[in-house]
Amino acid sequence: MGNLPFAIGFVVVVALLAVTHRLWVPALGHGAASTWRIAKITVAEARRRRVVQAVVVLVLLVLLFMNFFSYLNPREQARMIISGGLSAITVFGILLAIFVAAFLIPQELENRTVYAVLSKPVRRFEFVLGKYLGAMIILAVIMTIMTVVLVGVLLVQDHFVPDFDHSVFEPNLDNVIFAAVMSYFAVAVLAAYIVLISTVSSTAMTVIASFLIWAIGSLQSQIHDLAEAAETVFQKWFFTMFYWIMPPLENFDFRHEVSNFMHVSYRAGINAAGEGVLYIIIVLIVASIFFNDRQM
Amino acid sequence: MSDRRNRNLVLLLLAAGLLLMTVPLQESIHELRPHVFDPERKTKRVSAINIGPMPAVIAALGGFRTVAADVLWLRVERDFHGGNWWEIPSLLDAVNQLDPHFLLAWEVHGWHLAYNLHAESETLVDRRHYLGRGIAVLEDAVEANPDSWELTKELAWTLYDRGREPWRAAEYFRRADEFPESKSYVTRMIYRCYEGVLDIPNLMEALEYARNRHTDPNVADDVQHQVIVNDNYNWWLQHKDDPLEHRRQIVKENTARAQRSRPFYLYPDNPHWDVCPHCGLPSPKGSEFCSTYGHPMKPSSGSSRSPGGSRPPAEATSI
Repeated sequence: MGNLPFAIGFVVVVALLAVTHRLWVPALGHGAASTWRIAKITVAEARRRRVVQAVVVLVLLVLLFMNFFSYLNPREQARMIISGGLSAITVFGILLAIFVAAFLIPQELENRTVYAVLSKPVRRFEFVLGKYLGAMIILAVIMTIMTVVLVGVLLVQDHFVPDFDHSVFEPNLDNVIFAAVMSYFAVAVLAAYIVLISTVSSTAMTVIASFLIWAIGSLQSQIHDLAEAAETVFQKWFFTMFYWIMPPLENFDFRHEVSNFMHVSYRAGINAAGEGVLYIIIVLIVASIFFNDRQM
Repeated sequence: MSDRRNRNLVLLLLAAGLLLMTVPLQESIHELRPHVFDPERKTKRVSAINIGPMPAVIAALGGFRTVAADVLWLRVERDFHGGNWWEIPSLLDAVNQLDPHFLLAWEVHGWHLAYNLHAESETLVDRRHYLGRGIAVLEDAVEANPDSWELTKELAWTLYDRGREPWRAAEYFRRADEFPESKSYVTRMIYRCYEGVLDIPNLMEALEYARNRHTDPNVADDVQHQVIVNDNYNWWLQHKDDPLEHRRQIVKENTARAQRSRPFYLYPDNPHWDVCPHCGLPSPKGSEFCSTYGHPMKPSSGSSRSPGGSRPPAEATSI
């Protein structure tokens, strides 16, 4: 069913890349260097932001104080820590993505620092990509710290919580780490959408739109249900388009399976990661079109 | 201007091509995670607990349903230990709706209704209501979690122990026994179901079945299982036609039914005993009056003192 669209898409992409290779191949080396420089500057700026530091401290406290469920049986304790910890990582990761990515481009425009950057031999697409990469680096570091703390809490609890015959404290570490990695992909896809919006709107509008996109992206399966249950061709078309345009955030959400110690499909995760990367590229391409056309 | 337009067109085509390439990936994710994306998934809405605006609330919570279920579960714990038992079912309804894969919540929900609230109820009508709800909750649980042997076993146990529906219970024990993770006591429970109602053909067949399961001599649990099953098999070979054993089982079964406000089982095909529809106790075959209390052996309409009156042998409904 999906092979025909894939074949068409693949042919289109390969053909376009082949036809335009004289335009983009020579720029690769220089483009990568300038993109990396912008990414490094973005990381340095984000590190200085108080809100980022505050959120990191808050989430670490939340994770560290997750052992106050000692009156529950061991399996329930594990479930509470895993679901609470993974949700904390996801929520704070997404909040950080919104507050980091939403300020990237509008602030440069408002402070007029973008003119200094673009007066150098830096393409606008490289600027957008560099900003996005910088945000992704800082978010990767923060989410890694949060995951390490959650894994530490689970290991400590596994050591101290006595197991019963019928109830065992199961840290489920492989799946917890997998779910945290998938949460990072969700954050990465959402951040790409935020960068896209920030190329055409103000900071406040970007923040509001980001929350909306997060909410809609988290209801992916409900939108799919609506498309499947649509009674008219127009409704089906509308919901299907909406389903494909919005970020597929539920693809990356494995918290439910991991918290309930259910079977976790790693293949689904790998496919979701691949799809996420394609979405990020698509969204950044559209973002660069908007940013290229923007009058400054 | 024309260059820019051409470049934008190329980039848009490139984006469209990439979007098309995601189609098989998304379709494969739909197949690999049917409990999230299958439009017919059982976990979307569980019929018996579809209360008011819950589906909308669940939709709004999106990926945070598990956390919301955890918070409500903590309230269930507090209410349970605080003695606020009558508030618990509504909380557990919400927990089951929010997280249909939270197995312990289903187990506790069914158990609380069929055992605690059933026992706390003061009228027969209330008892029947809570037992029925408990069994219905566990049936929903099995429907929402068809891969869980624990929930199937829990439903079977509630039907056997509380509902006194041995034939249905045996069918669910059989289902639970088919799971590779299932324990040996589940296999033994299949024939236990037939003991109380003296369904000798099914009992012997289930005993034969149990003898052929869990046969690894290197596994301690299997060795123990074989000892128990062979003891039981030999016992029933010797006593399957023993009137005293039949009497013992009838008294045991109907005493349990009386304690649980369930109708007496009248053993219509028993060769040795007739069962009094009023007290559930056995009298020698052909007796006109109950040998224990002198009740007439034929049920009189409206005068039954039994917990629920007689029950036709058609009780053996299959699932």
